[in-house]
Amino acid sequence: MTPLVATPVREIDDVRGRHDLENAWRNPAGLLSWLSVATHQAIGMRYIVTAFIFLLAGGVEALLMRIQLAKADNTFLGPDKYNEIFTTHGTTMMFLFAVPMMEGMAIYLVPLLIGTRNVAFPRLNAFGYWMYLFGALFLYFGVFTNTAPDMGWFAYPPLSGPQFSPGKRVDFWAQMITFTEISALCVATEIIATIVKLRAPGMSLNRIPIYAWSMLIQSFMILFAMPAVMVSSTVMLLNDRTIGTHFVNPWAGGDPLLYQHVFWFFGHPEVYLIFIPALGFVSAIVETHSRRAMFGYPALVLSQLANAFVAFGLWVHHMFATDLPQMGESYFTASSMMIAIASGTQIFCWIATLWSGRVKMRTPVYFVLGFIFIFVLGGLTGVMLASVPLDLQVHDTFFVVAHFHYVLIGGALFPLFGAFYHWYPKMTGRVMDDFIGKINFWLLFIGFNVTFFPMHILGLHGMTRRIYTYPQEMGWEPMNALATVGAFIILLGGIVFILNVISSRRHGAEAGANPWDGGTLEWATDSPPRNYNFVNLPAATSRYPLWNDPKERVVVTGLRDDRREVLVTTLMDAEPHHRLVLPSSSIWPFLTALLSAIGLWGSVFHFSWYYVAMLGAFIGLVGWFWPRRREAEA
Amino acid sequence: MSRLSGGFLLASTAFARSQSALEPAGPQAAHFFRLFSWFFWIEAAIFLIVLALTAWALTRRHRGIEQEPLERVHIPSEETEKKLLWTVGGGILATVLILLGLLVASVTTGKAISELANQKNGMVVEVVGNQWWWYVRYLNDDASQIVVTANEIHIPVGRPVRIRGTSNDVIHSFWVPELNGKRDLIPSRITDEWIEADHPGRFRGQCAEFCGMQHAHMSLWVVADTPGDFEKWKQRQLQPAVEPSTPELIAGRDVFLKYACVYCHSITGTTAAGQVAPDLTHLGSRFTIAAGTLPNTKGNLAGWIVDPQNIKPGNHMATLNVKAEELQPLVDYLESLQ
Amino acid sequence: MIAQRTLDVSELPVGSVSNHAPLWWGQLLLALIEASMFFILLAMYFYIRLSMDIWPPPGVQLPKLGPATLALIPLVLSAIGSYIASEAAKKNDRSGMLLGLGLNIVLALLFLAARWFAWNEWNFNWRATAYGSIMWALMYLHTIDAVADVILTLCLFILIVFGYRGVKQRLGVHVDSILWYFIVLIWLPAYVVLYWGPRFVGAP
Repeated sequence: MTPLVATPVREIDDVRGRHDLENAWRNPAGLLSWLSVATHQAIGMRYIVTAFIFLLAGGVEALLMRIQLAKADNTFLGPDKYNEIFTTHGTTMMFLFAVPMMEGMAIYLVPLLIGTRNVAFPRLNAFGYWMYLFGALFLYFGVFTNTAPDMGWFAYPPLSGPQFSPGKRVDFWAQMITFTEISALCVATEIIATIVKLRAPGMSLNRIPIYAWSMLIQSFMILFAMPAVMVSSTVMLLNDRTIGTHFVNPWAGGDPLLYQHVFWFFGHPEVYLIFIPALGFVSAIVETHSRRAMFGYPALVLSQLANAFVAFGLWVHHMFATDLPQMGESYFTASSMMIAIASGTQIFCWIATLWSGRVKMRTPVYFVLGFIFIFVLGGLTGVMLASVPLDLQVHDTFFVVAHFHYVLIGGALFPLFGAFYHWYPKMTGRVMDDFIGKINFWLLFIGFNVTFFPMHILGLHGMTRRIYTYPQEMGWEPMNALATVGAFIILLGGIVFILNVISSRRHGAEAGANPWDGGTLEWATDSPPRNYNFVNLPAATSRYPLWNDPKERVVVTGLRDDRREVLVTTLMDAEPHHRLVLPSSSIWPFLTALLSAIGLWGSVFHFSWYYVAMLGAFIGLVGWFWPRRREAEA
Repeated sequence: MSRLSGGFLLASTAFARSQSALEPAGPQAAHFFRLFSWFFWIEAAIFLIVLALTAWALTRRHRGIEQEPLERVHIPSEETEKKLLWTVGGGILATVLILLGLLVASVTTGKAISELANQKNGMVVEVVGNQWWWYVRYLNDDASQIVVTANEIHIPVGRPVRIRGTSNDVIHSFWVPELNGKRDLIPSRITDEWIEADHPGRFRGQCAEFCGMQHAHMSLWVVADTPGDFEKWKQRQLQPAVEPSTPELIAGRDVFLKYACVYCHSITGTTAAGQVAPDLTHLGSRFTIAAGTLPNTKGNLAGWIVDPQNIKPGNHMATLNVKAEELQPLVDYLESLQ
Repeated sequence: MIAQRTLDVSELPVGSVSNHAPLWWGQLLLALIEASMFFILLAMYFYIRLSMDIWPPPGVQLPKLGPATLALIPLVLSAIGSYIASEAAKKNDRSGMLLGLGLNIVLALLFLAARWFAWNEWNFNWRATAYGSIMWALMYLHTIDAVADVILTLCLFILIVFGYRGVKQRLGVHVDSILWYFIVLIWLPAYVVLYWGPRFVGAP
């Protein structure tokens, strides 16, 4: 790459640059400033903390369910409350925890990984967070005012239609999806534009960290998948319920299966939206703690790409019991099995890396091992579910519940916890206690398997999903009781994690910039990073710039420090192209989100409130883009 | 192999032997069981191999790896990378081949099951899902041979039966694991599946698509009779309701006809012709009530009539405030409807 | 002071009114999102079509070809205005931008007026049948997108009129064209499917 070959060695004045940068990038104190923040670390952290709170909420809902199911004919929860709780549990975990958490981690980490100061659209970033928060609050407002949804997290009509679910429960659920979906689309746009345009000079496509590839791929998936859930929940279901359309109403030419097709066209990629970032976490952890360059980088990137494409061709495997034509179903069996090749390739590459590296058995590696165990088991039951004859027996039973918890918790949550332990030092400046971390791991691992493994057996023995109780004579009680015990072990693991997070903040060992001797750019700066990330933006002379000879490392000079300026580079080879001034704090993203939210909240009561939302968004955007004379001179 | 697998897979012998996919009682379910056994053992082996590889990767002594370059630049030697490439490539190839094999097995089994459909000596039973009970009607070209009942399906051993399914309200799912996989019951559509029992017995089923408040209590029974017993059952079902023979039973019928029962239920041979609740003409011959929720005893039936919301909260049966002295005759009458 | 190999970028321009700007990508991605929504709705149209024997359903008069086809003319021509404005923005040509944006707005409004006539003539609404629901959904989404883009273009026009022609505003003018091209391009196949489809492959 020509520009970096013969760069001169210069003396750089670090101190003055730092001072100017501190001023330009400061987030002042005070409520108004807090609402106006547009730096990616703060917004990323907000997503992470908020999503974690919803993980806890979902966990509480799970524990309540497990208590009810621990005994046959139990009366701890009646059918109404149980149905609300299992619906809210699924909805919370899928929409309010999993996707936002992955987005939050990306917002925090991606600019650091690619060597820039902020995301490409800082105010859009803020807007996306507020929309997520307003949507989540909307749903839980419903939960706490006896308007919780109760028709399952995928809300099949006609059960969720106006005739069989009167009232506002389904409407709150459907419109919450609009919020979380807009939020995810904002983040996806953000991540793509950032990775494509703001990479460090020299970070050509084949030097992009694997986790950044994961986020790039996942973001494109979001663009194509999220609109489908908007169509199914809002255009079809909400409109059928509120303004009398007939999309899914079988008694007027509509078709409940149309809803299922469109929902699952989103729903299947949705789980890969959660899973693919986790694969990126695993790669980052494996390569860093094995202390070697990842084996099979091209294979890993291409596998994730394959995963992303094939994920859009699987959705009918959720509908095998609806008596669709056999030939069509066979195609989906083939694709559902084929996707295992992509996952398998990645697992082999990771094992190869572990095998040939010098692994340090720290807590993040434990979580990766837990991921391998749990996710592979879940993937194997997935291959079973891909087969139509097998699926027709275990579909809608606890076997499926076991399967998807194995792949989601094993495939996403374990890598996420590994990522927490791996990047906590970068985010806070302290290292989490490794010994407690291992206890944390074992509690979660054992608790998880004790909870969910018995469910395979329960499903094979006839226990269907979404039942608030079951009779004694079915013989399901012992396995259920065991599962409940496991759930409380998981709770214990969660508590240990929270305690470790809190205590390490104060008592953890000082991390320094690079506690793990990692090779990627996020380790090239302070822990926690300043708002501007790097005093001088780094250039990427290889895939692992920090593993290069320090004498060969290159930094960028010539960007102005007294305003929020970043470097825009080209798509393929990341050659410097122009400089870009990013906006500072602004209250307008918050106001735009608030005004739009008011309209969207109202729209579940009357369609005309959509126009309030549009007007509110317009007003907000006018304020947002109002030009400042100084910058706008011809 | 199947029996051994079955024994192993039945992790706990405490399970009821009536709703288990691992206790096939008919050809379709047997196909599932065979396929499942193959998948299970092959996949269990794969799982153990992957775990073993991972464990080995972590514990191996570092033979054949030049450590020094690794320590310095974190990049292993070319020779190591080549070895790994072959191994990983082999792993991927093995994965593809195994998946192909499983795919072929699956599609073959699917075809075998569908070949059991459309048989000449088949019988058609229409099942309509309702919140939260099953309407059952034995179709026949001869209208006088049509049996209408609810929640309990009798079939003759060895004869294929087509379950022709639909729903009156939301999506339900017909599932009797010991006979076959499930089929959704979708309003305004007809779905089909075939079941066949190869020995007499009682096989429990349950609705397998969340259908609202009492989804948990929407079960059914399929009873496989010998052909002789099935004919006897069918003939009895074709008769109108047993005429009450004692004054007490007549009084019980009067209680039934007096209350709002008739708005929903029907009893052939009386004026009760409601269509939105289970047909009660032969209630006494069924061994459960409330869609498999309770055994059909006088005590349970009384409890159900007096307070249905206590047993199935949210279900659509009204609470009738039957007077205390009317309850016994009513229950006696209903139980007399064999 | 520390000694480091450096790459100096101080000579690079600040901002770029071109397809190298992040905002260009942002607009493209927004267009992709909307395109996804349209494709799903069109797929639904086909699904609903295939589930009905008589199409359109009884009682529905097929939307007339005349007004809808005429509306295509200002729609396609308006893209020329976008192009002129987009190119002028690169060169900071004030009159070019005003001409292009103005042309685009006038033609877009003509298009919307024609659409109003065409849509008003439909003898069915979203409540009638699934056919009505999907037709109204497609029409509504496209119209709302078009109206929003016209408002956006109008705001840009006002900014240029009042002399706000910095890099940011000109970049806005430049990338607005992406959205408008999308509005035009997505409607062409939709128009063929909705208006011509039933006439070629209609009721038996």
